[in-house]
Amino acid sequence: MLLPLSWLREFTPYEGSAEALGDKLTMLGLELEELTHPFAHLAAITTGHVVECTMHPDSDHLHCCKVDVGGEALLDIVCGAPNVAAGQKVCVATVGTVLPDGTKIKKSKLRGQPSHGMICSERELGLSDDHTGIMVLPEETKAGQRLIDVLDVDSDVLDLSITPNRADCLSVLGLARETAMAFHLPFAVPELPLSAKGEGCEVPITIDDGDGCFLYAGRVITGLTVAPSPAKIRYRLKACNVRPISNIVDVTNYILMECGQPLHAFDYDALQGGEIHVRRAHENEPFVTLDGQERILTSRDLCICDARRPVALAGVMGGLESEITATTKRVFLESAVFHPGSIRKTSRRLGLSSESSFRFERGIDQQRTIWALDRACSMIASLGGGVASSTLNASEAKPFVPAKILYDPSSADELLGVGLGKDFALKVLKGIGCPVEDTEPVWKVTQPSWRPDITRSADLVEEIGRVHGLDNIAPVLPPMEFSLDRSGRPESEFSFWLRVRHWGAGLGLNECINYSFVGQKDLDALNLPAENRIAIMNPLSSDQNVLRTTIAPGLLQSLRNNLAQGAQSIRLFELAHVFSKDESSETGAVETGMLGILLHGLRNEDIWPFTAADFEYSDLRGLVEHLASFLHLGTVRFVPEEDHPYLVPAVRLELGNASIGCMGRVRPEIADIYLAQKPVWLCEIDLEEVKRLAESVRVHFTPLPSFPPVRRDITVIGDASLTVGAVIDAIRAQKNPLIEDIAFVSLYEPEGKTDKHLSFRLTFRHAKKTLKDSEVDKERTNVANKLQSVLGVRI
Amino acid sequence: MDRIPALESLAPELQKGLDQASSFEALEALRIEFLGRKGRLADIMSTLPNLPPEERPKLGQRANVVKEEMNRLFDEKKAALTAAREAASLARFDASLPGRAPWKGSLHPDTLIMEEICSIFGRLGFDIAQGPEVEIDHYNFESLNMPPEHPARDMQDTLYITDSILMRTHTSPVQVRTMLKEKPPLAVVVPGKVYRRDSDLTHTPMFHQVEGLMVGHGITMAHLRGLLTAFVRGVFGPRTEVRFRQSFFPFTEPSAEVDISCFLCGGAGHTDGETCRVCKGTGWVEILGCGMVDPAVFEAVQYPADVSGFAFGLGVERIAMLKYGIGDLRMFFENDLRFLTQFSY
Repeated sequence: MLLPLSWLREFTPYEGSAEALGDKLTMLGLELEELTHPFAHLAAITTGHVVECTMHPDSDHLHCCKVDVGGEALLDIVCGAPNVAAGQKVCVATVGTVLPDGTKIKKSKLRGQPSHGMICSERELGLSDDHTGIMVLPEETKAGQRLIDVLDVDSDVLDLSITPNRADCLSVLGLARETAMAFHLPFAVPELPLSAKGEGCEVPITIDDGDGCFLYAGRVITGLTVAPSPAKIRYRLKACNVRPISNIVDVTNYILMECGQPLHAFDYDALQGGEIHVRRAHENEPFVTLDGQERILTSRDLCICDARRPVALAGVMGGLESEITATTKRVFLESAVFHPGSIRKTSRRLGLSSESSFRFERGIDQQRTIWALDRACSMIASLGGGVASSTLNASEAKPFVPAKILYDPSSADELLGVGLGKDFALKVLKGIGCPVEDTEPVWKVTQPSWRPDITRSADLVEEIGRVHGLDNIAPVLPPMEFSLDRSGRPESEFSFWLRVRHWGAGLGLNECINYSFVGQKDLDALNLPAENRIAIMNPLSSDQNVLRTTIAPGLLQSLRNNLAQGAQSIRLFELAHVFSKDESSETGAVETGMLGILLHGLRNEDIWPFTAADFEYSDLRGLVEHLASFLHLGTVRFVPEEDHPYLVPAVRLELGNASIGCMGRVRPEIADIYLAQKPVWLCEIDLEEVKRLAESVRVHFTPLPSFPPVRRDITVIGDASLTVGAVIDAIRAQKNPLIEDIAFVSLYEPEGKTDKHLSFRLTFRHAKKTLKDSEVDKERTNVANKLQSVLGVRI
Repeated sequence: MDRIPALESLAPELQKGLDQASSFEALEALRIEFLGRKGRLADIMSTLPNLPPEERPKLGQRANVVKEEMNRLFDEKKAALTAAREAASLARFDASLPGRAPWKGSLHPDTLIMEEICSIFGRLGFDIAQGPEVEIDHYNFESLNMPPEHPARDMQDTLYITDSILMRTHTSPVQVRTMLKEKPPLAVVVPGKVYRRDSDLTHTPMFHQVEGLMVGHGITMAHLRGLLTAFVRGVFGPRTEVRFRQSFFPFTEPSAEVDISCFLCGGAGHTDGETCRVCKGTGWVEILGCGMVDPAVFEAVQYPADVSGFAFGLGVERIAMLKYGIGDLRMFFENDLRFLTQFSY
């Protein structure tokens, strides 16, 4: 809401600065966004007197002027405007001045004649779109003054952010009321008595939909001449960011800004049958709005109709066919109150928001509707040389009934934690315009017609707090009440995830956060099924039109971003929810917490003391095993999986009978989409499952062994299909109680042969004695022999 | 053969050899030559049985003296060599040689800020609560006093899944879910992702909030001010002041926007004569929104009329941007490693 300070002062004698007013209003909940000076550039423009004006010797349209700008010498200025003439008082941009469009005035010569400045048009001064000639000032204007001091313009404009509850502050009047209250000033609306001398002019009004239209009123004004508004009104509207149009339309906007009541002016001669019906539109009824666009209406849109057809989309925008034109002579001026929700629906459905719809959506002071109508009629009649009809046409389907609030006068002190007392509360309530009956034990407080937000006791507490100043409440720490019901609950997801996050960062991974949504095509590229996806109905773009069903696409996008920046070693991880359809859920979605880890490129660069090598399976697997051990989950089983949609090789991760996720290498053709030339290793772990397993873990102390271990290496030779896991499983299957640990030591594949040599280190230990070398050797041989017979390998 | 002179000559000869020895290998060779099992001393001693019995003790005594002398010479040389080697090694030591650096891991700045916020409130006695990111309109809007067609819905442009299911626009629906599940008194903080249909320089369609809710008997706005003062001092330092500005949220009344005194300029509005880049000269920085829970919300969760409470919500990225001086919000979700690795670990 743009508030010109000088306009406000017409309602209340506020003498302070714009800054001080902005600060005060901000603390009252009307936040000053910006203090602007829309006409500041006029300070550099000087008034001038055209002393001499002759035709340019070498041009048929230029004039050579000598202009008095208050200095000792007259300025030579060449001027191309058709209306320039000697004796005029004009606006001069002298050398060095920068005009609003950025033009800098320089000393120059125009076809040989010197020119030391420019005589400006309204457009050049940023005052209007008029560029038909220079702007001529009144006769009595003295030369050499600053133009900003000569023109009656609103130099300080406060841009206030008005919250949706404060409909009353969407007007100069409402803001003046707040200002008067805040600074203890008188507040009065300047009188503009309507002299309705015109003959009676009945416009029958029928409200078919009383739920949609509470009040509809109008008056006819005749004998009008459409012309531009006087400068003061035009400049003021400009200061409010409203484009001046004509003396009729400008008044409707002026009154809207002034008292918050939207008005609409119809060309009365375009209203067929001279009557008004307020009704819902017919389904698919076409209607052309003022902006020339055809809109297809629905039966939920409220419209204003004449005898035959819609002439306005109620509260949103007028119709093209009944708009005010240059030849309009008679006007029907509408002032009405519509149902906020109804206006909002139409405005949103059509994507058509106007100053009017914005105010109707938030609530109108119904007791000011007719007053605003008459005030506007009076202005239009006087500016357009017409007369207002003596007939006030009005139909009120739903009169305003103020809320009667029962208010316990101690409520504010209790909720705010202050001791303001009853006298203060009473003063505030009266100050904001509430009639109060201070009866015992509760007061009866009446809602002011301009405050749709005040209907309950809590709303009054807010007002008392607001006027006292929420910032003046002394801070106190709250007493904490704890309930035993809440003790000993499982760890929160947030805190569990935080532990996993610290684990990842501690191991050298970099946490990333990707959007929860990706494009359908991103999921398609991963060969993911389409049926369980949750699509966004109104996405911002096709890159963000579906929720991710796995964590992979986000991580892959982060991979691509980093590869594009030249990163060579990428170790990302992310914890996030993934989403899939679940009709049985209240939200239609099941959200699963996932941990994703992605490794790509160099494990280490070849800088001291490392040698360069790329990430491989064991790097990622090591991290998975480390996580399981960090959370005491036991041994993870890595089970090869065929036909994974985007990983090959793919390995399922199992713990007990639960599958906790999968890992593997992203299919090269998919990795390629994400710019990856080297293998992309990815794992996805179900954090819900892992958290569940971690919660059941009980960590037990194991007594330290008393006798030393003995180690023996054993090398198993088999063909290419022999796996480390198979050997370890086979040794474990022997259930030798002396074997404490089996570690894989090395892999050797002799050149030119298909053989595989796998070396293992076995740790033997006896709980009750020190093992002798000979005993251990015997055990080792035993193990070796059994391996040979079970696996068919050589030792 | 005259054994005595032969014995006597051993030590001087060893000394000569040691003088020339410059390595541990040469030293070892000399040890074997003179003192080894088949060395020169042993060689002489091996003839001992050939001597008449009365001469044997004398020669034996001499041999022991010589052996001790040789051992001493030998140990001296060994110590000297060891010291020399140590000195040489120290001379080569390069303290500036880079370390065997483990990978540099990192936590996302949002994680760091959420952890810090939740830990401060945790110490003040708040539990963590969480809820779904895909939410029903009822919890996200209606039960928070925002019926359909309420203009306050404009404050939060929404991504919808269906007409009645949406991506939650704030963490506040978790307030409602928590209150429906639990009886007062309660105090929770709710960290999480939220979504808006908004994307430009200063808005991303997903961001993070932390919501707080405290409900009990006799909870007042003075308590809210106290708690938030304690919180901002925890994050921004003990001299931080808070300012409450009247505002509006449909689910709290009264509502306030909270500013903190600028942590860069200390509220002065300028640093070194320049307008402060953080507070733009105002001395205050907007940090969160809060208020007393609106009775309509308590009604929606069927709480008794005699409880009161407050709620607050803050934008995690905003705090991270202020705290770390990050200028561009979009960087939070581009996950450039050069960005990610700047904040911790």
